[in-house]
Amino acid sequence: MPRSARRRAVRKHVLIYAGLAPFLVLAVFPILWMAITAIKQEADLYRMDVVPFWFNLPPTLKNFALLFWRTSYADWIVNTMSVSFWVSVITILTAVPAGYALARLKLPGAENLGIGIFMTYLVPPIILFLPLARVVSELGLQDSWWSLVVVYPTFTIPFCTWLLMGFFKTVPFEIEEAAQVDGCGQLGALLRVVLPVSWPGLVTAVIFSFTLSMQDFLYSLAFISVSDQKPVPLGVATELIRGDVYFWGSLMAGALLVGVPVAIVYNLFLDKFISGITGAAIK
Amino acid sequence: MGEVSAGGKGERPAALAIGVPTARVAPRWWRSIAVRRFVFGYSLLTPAVLYVGLLVGVPFLFSLYLALSDASVGAPVARFVGIDNLLAAVESSTFRVALRNSLVFTLGAGIAKSILGTTLAFLLMQRFRGRKVVRALLVMPFTIPIAVSALGWKWMLDSQFSVINWALGRLHLIGAYGTDGWPVWLGQPALALASVMFVNVWRSFPFGAIVLMAGLTSVPPEVIDAAKVDGANFLQRLRQVIVPMIAPILLVGGLFDTVFTLSDISIVYLLTNGGPNGATEILPTLAYRVGIQAGALGRGAAISLFLFPLLLPAMVLLLRNLRRREW
Repeated sequence: MPRSARRRAVRKHVLIYAGLAPFLVLAVFPILWMAITAIKQEADLYRMDVVPFWFNLPPTLKNFALLFWRTSYADWIVNTMSVSFWVSVITILTAVPAGYALARLKLPGAENLGIGIFMTYLVPPIILFLPLARVVSELGLQDSWWSLVVVYPTFTIPFCTWLLMGFFKTVPFEIEEAAQVDGCGQLGALLRVVLPVSWPGLVTAVIFSFTLSMQDFLYSLAFISVSDQKPVPLGVATELIRGDVYFWGSLMAGALLVGVPVAIVYNLFLDKFISGITGAAIK
Repeated sequence: MGEVSAGGKGERPAALAIGVPTARVAPRWWRSIAVRRFVFGYSLLTPAVLYVGLLVGVPFLFSLYLALSDASVGAPVARFVGIDNLLAAVESSTFRVALRNSLVFTLGAGIAKSILGTTLAFLLMQRFRGRKVVRALLVMPFTIPIAVSALGWKWMLDSQFSVINWALGRLHLIGAYGTDGWPVWLGQPALALASVMFVNVWRSFPFGAIVLMAGLTSVPPEVIDAAKVDGANFLQRLRQVIVPMIAPILLVGGLFDTVFTLSDISIVYLLTNGGPNGATEILPTLAYRVGIQAGALGRGAAISLFLFPLLLPAMVLLLRNLRRREW
């Protein structure tokens, strides 16, 4: 590379990195700070005289120990996982057939129905949580994590139906026709031919059932007040604060232990999320 | 995609008629392929439509009914009280403050997000080394569950051990702890509202940037080249070519974020719980306080329904946008 060109490339990089640096600090520092707090000793947290950004006392895992031995954290993790699992099952069983029917079967009114289902994704929980509180208590599910299994599909089904609809449109029609010519019925063609080639779409739908379930706070706050039934975000936010006393180290530890894996998985599928929301806007 | 489906429509019945022996049996109308396809299709749709209808549609209508009744947690039998709840809400100063805060919050945060998101999107559009890593780090605020990061911010904005105050103090930008010059982020009315808005901005600006990038990359370079050839300068290209082309995607992204911002409870609930003295009360926290904590379902539903007229324009715009698209 000629010298002037290389110098120009270097200068361009310096400028871009300099522009990005404030954004990076803004985005990453809070999470880094949470991580540092999670493994600091209690005495190290409450000092104003020393530089707080690093460890003045050796790092510790005590905050994690407190989570597991002195709170129901293990229960919360099991609850979160169970809720997400059942929500995914319900979502797949309903959204896959719906997405397929809307995308492939040229039903009259399919377009409006598809838009209608997606619009329900935009009805925010804050409008629905009071009537749903009634539904939950009628079902006798108050203070049980099963209430969340019932409620979370109200946002995972619309989103995943929309997502899968876009996905099924990309599967070529010919393979289905070939299957039907070979004697498969319509259902047989769906189950034996279309679904096996659609597994990336199904995996994406499962991932979003998990990550969207983890983003909720309001429903769990409104429906569950018993400690051992709470999902992680609610448990951490409500049980590690006793009156005016905040267990900051354990709070951060408990929040990050679940938050970071969710963030990483979500990150990997973020582009699918964006194109799911913006729909066919990217043609 | 449109072409494929158009082709498939014409060919499929023919292929079936030849290939499947049963089709040769004298067809009755309910046996015809189109009808069977409709029955099959609508039965596939039924579970999803039922679920969403029963747990979104019906509750939505039920919340309209709740808002017009004096339902409460203790008394299961509710009387119809007309628009009393709505009137009571409008007349209470708590509600008016919450409504004002909701509007200030959504508009202010929206403006800040647009500026930060646009700047970031243009930076990320450049080609440079480590772009993927940088992008993955930058979207962390959006992908980490909001309740988790709100707790982190609560610690960062602690009244005494705030790391932000520590840094500002060392730079001599604020006074000493205990004096008036020491900002108590979540304890002073104006600062508290600014803080919860800031956390919302922090959470959403990466989303704005990514949506904008998705829009920008969807503009074919040939179109921009053609505009260049026609002698359009950068601003003209931006205004007359790029913005109109990415407008739909920006609209959807913007509306999506507006709905989230207007209706999210977790940031305010966890950081200030509406305080100090109602300074950060927004409609969602007020609806929760009245509807669940005080048990006045009717009053709470009335308050949360006030969000609907605010959300409605967003949803109508979105609906029109989605319907205009070719499928």
